Order: sequence, then structure tokens, then C-alpha cells
Amino acid sequence: MIELIAQNMAPIMFCSLIVFMLIGYPVAFSLAANGLLFFLIGVELAPYSNGSINLSWPLLHALPDRFYGGVMANETLLAIPFFTFMGIVLERSGMAEDLLDTIGQLFGPIRGGLAYAVIIVGALLAATTGVVAASVIAMGLISLPIMLRYGYDRRLASGVIAASGTLAQIIPPSLVLIVLADQLGRSVGDMYAGALIPGLVLTGLYMGYILIVSIVRPKLVPALPLEARTLGHGVLSLIAALIATALVSYAAYRYLAPTQGENADILAATVGIIFIYCVALADKTFKFNLMSRLAQQVVIVLIPPLALIFLVLGTIFLGIATPTEGGAMGAVGALVMAAAKRRLSLDLVKQALAATTRLSSFVLFILIGARVFSLTFYGVNGHLWVEHLLVSLPGGEVGFLIFVNLLVFFLAFFLDFFELAFIIVPLLAPAAEKLGIDLIWFGVLLGINMQTSFMHPPFGFALFYLRSVAARVPYLDRITGKRTAPVTTGQIYWGAVPFVCIQILMIGLTIAFPGMVMHYKGKPVDPGSIEIKMPDMPGLPPLGAPQSGGAGATPDLSAPPNFGAPAPAKPATPAVPDLSQPPSFN
Amino acid sequence: MGFFIAVYLSPVLLVLVVVALFILAGILLDRRMGFLLALSRGIDRLNEFVGKSVSWLILAAILVSAGNAIIRKVFDMSSNAWLELQWYLFGAAFLLAAAHALKQNEHIRIDIVYGLFSRRVQHWVDLFGHVFFLMPFSALMVVYLVPYVTRSVESGEMSTNAGGLIIWPAKALLLAGFLLLALQGVSEIVKKIAVMRGKTDDPNPFIPAHEQAELEAKALAGEVRA
Repeated sequence: MIELIAQNMAPIMFCSLIVFMLIGYPVAFSLAANGLLFFLIGVELAPYSNGSINLSWPLLHALPDRFYGGVMANETLLAIPFFTFMGIVLERSGMAEDLLDTIGQLFGPIRGGLAYAVIIVGALLAATTGVVAASVIAMGLISLPIMLRYGYDRRLASGVIAASGTLAQIIPPSLVLIVLADQLGRSVGDMYAGALIPGLVLTGLYMGYILIVSIVRPKLVPALPLEARTLGHGVLSLIAALIATALVSYAAYRYLAPTQGENADILAATVGIIFIYCVALADKTFKFNLMSRLAQQVVIVLIPPLALIFLVLGTIFLGIATPTEGGAMGAVGALVMAAAKRRLSLDLVKQALAATTRLSSFVLFILIGARVFSLTFYGVNGHLWVEHLLVSLPGGEVGFLIFVNLLVFFLAFFLDFFELAFIIVPLLAPAAEKLGIDLIWFGVLLGINMQTSFMHPPFGFALFYLRSVAARVPYLDRITGKRTAPVTTGQIYWGAVPFVCIQILMIGLTIAFPGMVMHYKGKPVDPGSIEIKMPDMPGLPPLGAPQSGGAGATPDLSAPPNFGAPAPAKPATPAVPDLSQPPSFN
Repeated sequence: MGFFIAVYLSPVLLVLVVVALFILAGILLDRRMGFLLALSRGIDRLNEFVGKSVSWLILAAILVSAGNAIIRKVFDMSSNAWLELQWYLFGAAFLLAAAHALKQNEHIRIDIVYGLFSRRVQHWVDLFGHVFFLMPFSALMVVYLVPYVTRSVESGEMSTNAGGLIIWPAKALLLAGFLLLALQGVSEIVKKIAVMRGKTDDPNPFIPAHEQAELEAKALAGEVRA
């Protein structure tokens, strides 16, 4: 009997973890307590385990170092507070409101225009604030009443708002991607590069859906009537402004190219954008009437967020800044933007800091708890048990991906993404690696999956945010004075359904076309040119050595463009883990 | 077995037994729990102060990190000391704020089953968790971290990066964080018992996660409208 228990410690431990967490005590401490309890039991039962338990008391002394080296001294995780702070400051700076007003006016005159505006603003907010709650609330407060006023279908209006808000989860710089990159042992820069195209494709799919609706059922998505177009006409003026920007940029490029070399194109574009921004500002201040009001407003409102996106993502993708530094620059940029809009106050900074500290503390303590759990779980060979279970699934790589996606989809009803990332993902990663699945691709798939959980009725948080700002009782419209019916919870739920289907389609597309993600590795390298250099470098590790998370631009030499076997220098199944230095769980 | 417990766990058991006896004696000797509640208020105030103060360190970390990036790009200089300072600051913030988060009931739980329990059962779950999950863990970490930090102080351990910082303050932060957490654990146990015996009001009534989300959204919406 004792032997049976001793040899099945891993499944027993995992099942009891579920019980420990379900009773509802904070997850961080439940994980740690589960780890410690089973450490105690494991040490006692080790003699009966026939070698499947590798635990001894001195191993417990590894915990301080696991916390110090693995959690504290971890530059990746430092990006969490930076991006959180940036998001909170931006959500209170009024940027979302300005964007919605302006882009709504720009697209309003076409059928489905307000919905396109919501999707575009959702993507822009995703690339800056990265906070689902903030996006959904801003859009629910500003766009939803306008959409209802001019006859949008309630289900469609609420669905598009909830779905666009969740884009914050998958478009960089989202926290999910940071945490996933950390747990999968990949670089955040690569994860961002990998997620960018799927994020944009998803945005495109949402817009495609609106396009189809506007053709098949135009009554559901009417254009803004003339009297609602407050910024008037002036699209021509906007096009003229764009052309002027392009001309100035080109002139600057010709001027800068001889001296600045490779950076000339970026610098020239910057010059062009600053030029048009200054022109628009001057036009507004001194009333030159050079541009239409619409063009003026679009330029003035759109350029600061775009500049911020460039400051953060541009510098990361160009390899100028690490993601952590990008986050810090973004946070400073957000403070500057809030100051420029006269929204910056000591109170705002204090609140944002308090919220950031709170989130950082509970997230990192879940990680600390997970470290205690993993110390024991590895000691009882739990990682081998999970890997064995997953690798033996029928269907090989695709079967594994489908199973894992279904699993995460259902778990996401109960666990939030931090818990999934710290507890479940480390268990899945070795199996994925063993099957030869690229971990960035895997991470992006999981990211899209977890995004879906935000809009999935009836538990999706985006739906709750929308519910709390949408009218529950009939109200008199502010402009038309007409009595307007409330939005029912059923309408919000049904509205989300088409978008959940789009998400599932997107997961399928990402599985079918891994190229969307895999471009992060850069262009395939001509193998001939590498082999020549090899003999000169005897001191360096062989080509096959894994490059621990190189920058996005560096081509990964260890793996050919088509993902083959996992990197050889990192055996996924150590027969006996080195007890003095337990394998870390990420 | 006995030997190992003596060597590796006895300090932890000692700490826990002392805390338990202390609380038990307090309850038995002092029917109204006046002394224990005063102690708990003291701990709460300490952690409230620490938890709120350390959030400024995040702002400092942001400025240091942005400064590092700019200086590296513009002057082509970088300093390992400043790079390490970033995560020293962040480490201080999240470790020292954990106790405050516990006090505010902000460490996330899975409330799918917990939410179905009556408030009375929820109190028992919390008390059970404080006593058997939180306290052994934090006491164990305090007991292990004391020699860990002492060793680092005595050897004057420096970062292995060229020009890096001295290490013991960072390790001491771990100790301080778990010490505060253990203290807050004592305070939470006292408060929980007082609430269950009807001596004080419930400081953190249970709100399901989704209701919490709606409340936060309402607060935020109010700000946007203003």
C-alpha cells in the first residue's frame, strides 16, 4: 500500500493541489502549503518509492535561492509593474475618450463605421494601455450610447465592444505575453514579435465580420446620419495632410540618408510626423484654416498614442530597448501624455502606484508559491508524469495542441491567466518542446486562448465590465431625447458569441499557418555561410546549443526554419534531477 | 524521521507553537481579546504604512530603468549597479507590500466553491488557511532566511556582475517581506477569531470576483464621466 502511494505521488499531489486551491484560500499560499506538505510526505516515503521520489531535507534549503535568483533577480518580470503603471496612467488620461470621439467621426459616415472605429481604437488601446477593463469601460461609456442612438443592433454593438476590449490581451505589450514568455523560458521580445501578426490578423477578422454584416444585414450597422457628423467633412484635407507628411519625410530622408545611413528612414518618418503634428497644432491655435477640422482633430488626437506605441514597441522590435526598458519608457511617456492633457495629479500617480504594487505583489507571490510547489513536484518526478501523459496523446503534434487548447479553454473559466501561466503552462511546456513545438508559437496560441476566456459567456470579465457601464433600465437619450431601451444581459452574452467563434477560427488559423508567428526568428540563414566560420571558434558551444532568448532580429541558428527536434543541449528528461540545484520550473 | 524534524523543522514548529500558545493564552486570559486586538491593530498599522510607502519605489524603479535606457543609448554608457538597482527597488516593493495585500484581502483566490459556502464556513476556511497554509510557510521561510541573509552579510557577498551592487540588502528584503507576512498572519488570525466570536466587524466582507470587477468598473466609469 505504502509503495503504491509512494510510486504515485505525482498524481496524488496534483489532485490534492486541485482540492487545496478549490477550497478558496489565496492561491499563492495554497500552492506553497501543498508543496511543503508533500515535501514532508515525500521525504518519508522516498525509501518505498523505488527511486521515483528524489527528495531529501537539505533540498528544502534551496528555496531562498529559488526566490532570490528566480523571482527577485528576474529582469523579465520587472516589465509587469512598468506596463501596468503605464496602462493605469493612460486609462485615466482621457486618451481613450479622445480617440473614440475622433475615429468615430472619421469612420461614422460609412456603414458599420462606428463598429470599425471601436475595433481600431480597441487595437490602439491594446498597444498602449493593455488593460481590458479600461478599454471596455471607455467604449461602453462613449461608443455604446452613440451606437444605440443611431440604431445599431444591441447584440452586435455590445459584442464588438467586449471583443475589441480583449485585444489588449494578445496585442503586445500585454502582461499575458510577458508572463508566458517568462514561464516558457523565451525572450519577451520574441514573444511580442510572434504575437504581433496574429493580433493584427485577429483585428482584421473582427473588421471582416463587420464588413460582412454591413453587406448582408445593413440595417444592423447603419451609418451616422448627417446631423451627427459634428466634425463635418474634410477627408480630402486629411489625405492632403498625409501626402504633405509623406513629402516632408521623403525630403528629410534625402537630406539625412548620406549622414545617418540605416537610421535615416526612421528619423525621416519622425521628422515628417513631428512636422504635421506641429502644423495641426499651429492651425488649431492660430486658426489659419489650413486643414479641415476633421483632419486637424485626427492628426492631433492620433499622433501622441502612435508616438507612444513607437516609443514602446518600436524600440523593442528594433532592438534599441529591452522590453523592460520599453515598459519604463512607456510609463514615463504616459506620465508626459497625462501631463499634456492636464490630467496628471499627485492623486493619480498615488492611485496608479498603489494599484501597480497590489498587482505586482499578488502576481509575484503566486510565482513564489509555484516555486515551492514545483520544487516538490519535480522531486516526485511530476514533470515526467505530466509529460508522459501529454506526449502519449493520439494525433501527435496537432492532437496535443487541440487537447491543450481545449484544456486551457475550460480551465480559463475558473482560473485567471496568472494562475494558468504559473501553474499549468510550466507543466505543458516540456511536453510541447519534446514534440518539437516551437514555444513562442505555443505561447501565442495559449495567449489567444486565454484572450477568448475574457469574452466567453457567462464568465468572461469583459462582459462584466460592459454590463456595469451599459444601461440596465430604460433611459432618455441625451441628444435625441428619445426613450431608449436598456441593454439586457442576454444581448451582451449573445453578442459575444460570433466573436468567440472568430477566436476559435483564429486559433485554428494559427495552428494551420505557424508562419504568422515564426517570422520572429528572422529570415532563414544560408547554412553555407555559417559552416565556414565554424572551425575558427573552438571555444564556443556547438551550433546546436540553445540560444537563451536572443533578440528578435537574431536568427536562431540552432533550429532550422521548420521547427525540428528540440535543442539537444537541453535534455527534457533528466533521469535523476541534480538535487543540489533543482531544475527550475520554467 | 525524528532526527530530521529536529534539525530542519523544529525551529519552525517552535515558532508556530509559541504563536499558537500566545493566541490561545490571550483568548483564555483575556475574554474580550483587548490585548490581542491591540496587537493586531499595531501590526495592521505597521503593514499599512510599509505597504503604502513602498509603492513609491515602483516609480523610482521606472525612472531608473528609463534613465538607464536613455543614458545607454545617448552616452553609450551602462552601469551594472544601476541595472541591478531596478530590480532591488521592485523587489522591495512587491515583497514588502505582500503583507499589506494580505490585510486588504487582495491575494487572489479561486472563489468558485468558496463563493457557495456560507459566510461562517468561509471564516473557517480562512482561519484554517491562515493557520495551516500561510503560517507554516512564512515561518519556515523566516527560519531559513535568517542564516541565508547572515551568511551573505558576513561574507560581504557582491554581485558577480562587474561593478554590481552588494547583495545582502536584496536578500534581507526577502527576509523582511516574509517577516512582515508572518506578522500579518498573526494579526489576521486574531482578527478572524474576533470576527467569528462577534467581537469585531468583518473588515473584508466577501465579494465574488465578478461582482468585484463590476464595482471596479463602476468606480472607473465614475472617474471617466467626471
